[in-house]
Amino acid sequence: MSAVLCVVCPKENAHSLLSLMPRNYCRCSSSNKLSSKLSFSSGVTAYSSAVANPSRSAEERVYEVVLKQADLMREHRRKTAMDLEKPIENDGNTNWNLLNEAFGRCREVTAEYAKTFYLGTLLMTPERRRAIWAIDVWCRRTDELVDGPNAMHITPKALEIWETRLTDLFEGQPYDMYDAALSYTVSKYPVDIQLFKDMIEGMKLDLRKSRYKNFDELYLYCYYVAGTVGLMSVPVMGIAPESKASIDSVYNAALALGIANQLTNILRDVGEDAIRGRIYLPQDELAQAGLSDDDIFRGIVTDKWRSFMKGQIKRARMFYDEAEKGVSELNFTSRWAVWASLLLYRQILDAIEANDYNNFTKRAYVAKAHKLASLPVAYARALMRPSKLAKFELGPKMNQIIYK
Amino acid sequence: MIRVLAVSYPINPPCPYGVHNWTCSRFPHVKPKLNSRSWRARASSDADSSSSSSSSSSPFAPSIDSDPTDKNASGFCIIEGPETVQDFAKMELLEIQDNIRSRRNKIFLHMEEVRRLRIQQRLRNAELGISKEVQENELPNFPSFIPFLPPLTSENLKQYYVSCFSLIAGIIIFGGLLAPTLELKLGIGGTSYEDFIRSMHLPMQLSQVDPIVASFSGGAVGVISALMVVEINNVKQQEHKRCKYCLGTGYLACARCSSTGALVLIEPVSTISGGDQPLSPPKTERCSNCSGSGKVMCPTCLCTGMAMASEHDPRIDPFD
Repeated sequence: MSAVLCVVCPKENAHSLLSLMPRNYCRCSSSNKLSSKLSFSSGVTAYSSAVANPSRSAEERVYEVVLKQADLMREHRRKTAMDLEKPIENDGNTNWNLLNEAFGRCREVTAEYAKTFYLGTLLMTPERRRAIWAIDVWCRRTDELVDGPNAMHITPKALEIWETRLTDLFEGQPYDMYDAALSYTVSKYPVDIQLFKDMIEGMKLDLRKSRYKNFDELYLYCYYVAGTVGLMSVPVMGIAPESKASIDSVYNAALALGIANQLTNILRDVGEDAIRGRIYLPQDELAQAGLSDDDIFRGIVTDKWRSFMKGQIKRARMFYDEAEKGVSELNFTSRWAVWASLLLYRQILDAIEANDYNNFTKRAYVAKAHKLASLPVAYARALMRPSKLAKFELGPKMNQIIYK
Repeated sequence: MIRVLAVSYPINPPCPYGVHNWTCSRFPHVKPKLNSRSWRARASSDADSSSSSSSSSSPFAPSIDSDPTDKNASGFCIIEGPETVQDFAKMELLEIQDNIRSRRNKIFLHMEEVRRLRIQQRLRNAELGISKEVQENELPNFPSFIPFLPPLTSENLKQYYVSCFSLIAGIIIFGGLLAPTLELKLGIGGTSYEDFIRSMHLPMQLSQVDPIVASFSGGAVGVISALMVVEINNVKQQEHKRCKYCLGTGYLACARCSSTGALVLIEPVSTISGGDQPLSPPKTERCSNCSGSGKVMCPTCLCTGMAMASEHDPRIDPFD
């Protein structure tokens, strides 16, 4: 048969997966993709008890993914240090014209659809920011498939094909120019394909699920659609070489930031989502607060609603606090951007409070003045060095935070 | 009346996308469809009939949600992937032409059915007293090309006319009557060109200008710049409707062949035997991804080039 030109050939990811010693945990109920693919070499002491427990919480399952990412990065570092991974700089097969044009387009699309985010990325180095743009465009295109103006024509088979294209591009066979940009990006930075697959899973979830029984389910959803993005961006942002914190904790912080962002979105858009018949708040907590779906659809702010929202906002803030612990460990050039986005997004929660918790009819937004004021604050915090203290372990403690 | 060969739609259990796709759409112009079970039941009972009637009670109205999954045996899918081109690649020319003709016919008939269904929908809405909302794909108003002005509808078009004419009339009255009167009676104004030019410290020859030339130039400059502003605004609005991923072209560069359309076949050449022969130029094969056109479908706009595609938008031809 005929051979075909490879545009880029990323092999790192495959190698890292193979090198990890397989130690699959048996699960009684495994209907999700996470469990069957996970294997890692480091024993996790905190979770030996979880093995016995047949139905582990979403947090635990997501934590496994986090650990896997950390392992991937360690593997990548080891190989680069030993010069096993030759960077594919001047590969004669790479079509630089196409690639440069592709990255240029990624830049334009990001600038068009996410102006604030785009401005933030300009604070990063050119290599890193175009990698972020490539990832952002893929995520955006995937989102358009299921949630865009032409989403009504998309079928499960279409998503399967989309996933095939994803696998192909990870193997160096991108389909179109945007895939080529992402393919190049994942060949340079150790990003795990599982995160992308989980994001597709999250999109699919959004199509069939409009209620979430408890926070555990919501946590999983937030991981799928936003936590994955946080984890994808850590290898691109890069951890500061002088950082003494463990890689696990940095990834955990990134995950926490993604979850916090998504929770903020959810809390801001309660009214909009209700119009489309979706409630992204845990049903059991609503019941505990004496609220029903009808109360949300009616859209009237009551004292019960206020106290419920207070608890939700408090929890979202806790995730931001967790995230803050890890931002200082990133590369300096990336720190400012991440701090800025963290501070800006966090202010949305303040805006919800200022609206007297009326997220039904009022859209909480941060005034331009506040946005601008965040920039110097973010810069100041970015100047803070990575921790020189011994490793601080971040583990999921959310299940210990009792929602009042 | 043309009889059309019906395609039997094999019925699957309700596709999960069918029901919830609508509720999660973010665009208000898309209304949730009524996926009534009775339609599906009827369609399944008529699935093996080989001819369709074109009456309005045609059984061929499974909701669009079940359509794409089961269009034909080869499993048509709207998103292109590495293997999807094979769907129609094996057909002969005559077969292809027949297929195109029959599908276009079907589209024509479907559009007619949609029209009749809309009529029924309107009747039901009226019966139930539901007020008429904005229908899909209808633009009751369209934005003005002039910046800062409110959108135009047939109602406020009259207002536009009135304000436009009164403005012109006012200016003519001001220039023709008011200003000279004020000058004569009250002595306000009456600055001549000379005085004005002198006060602005411009070259004196400008004050020698013919008044007809002056007013003509002034008017012309005003009109031309106004038209430019309108055109620029128009372009901005059209761009807004354009798909941002493919910039309105409907296609993205094929990464497999790097938009050349051809794949170079690498064949190992033995250097032991026949080592003195010059290497022949590499053979090329047509890229299977893009069928040699060098570009692949943009999955966001589905080859329409528009940010929001409708069934009316023509699909752009890759070989243009």
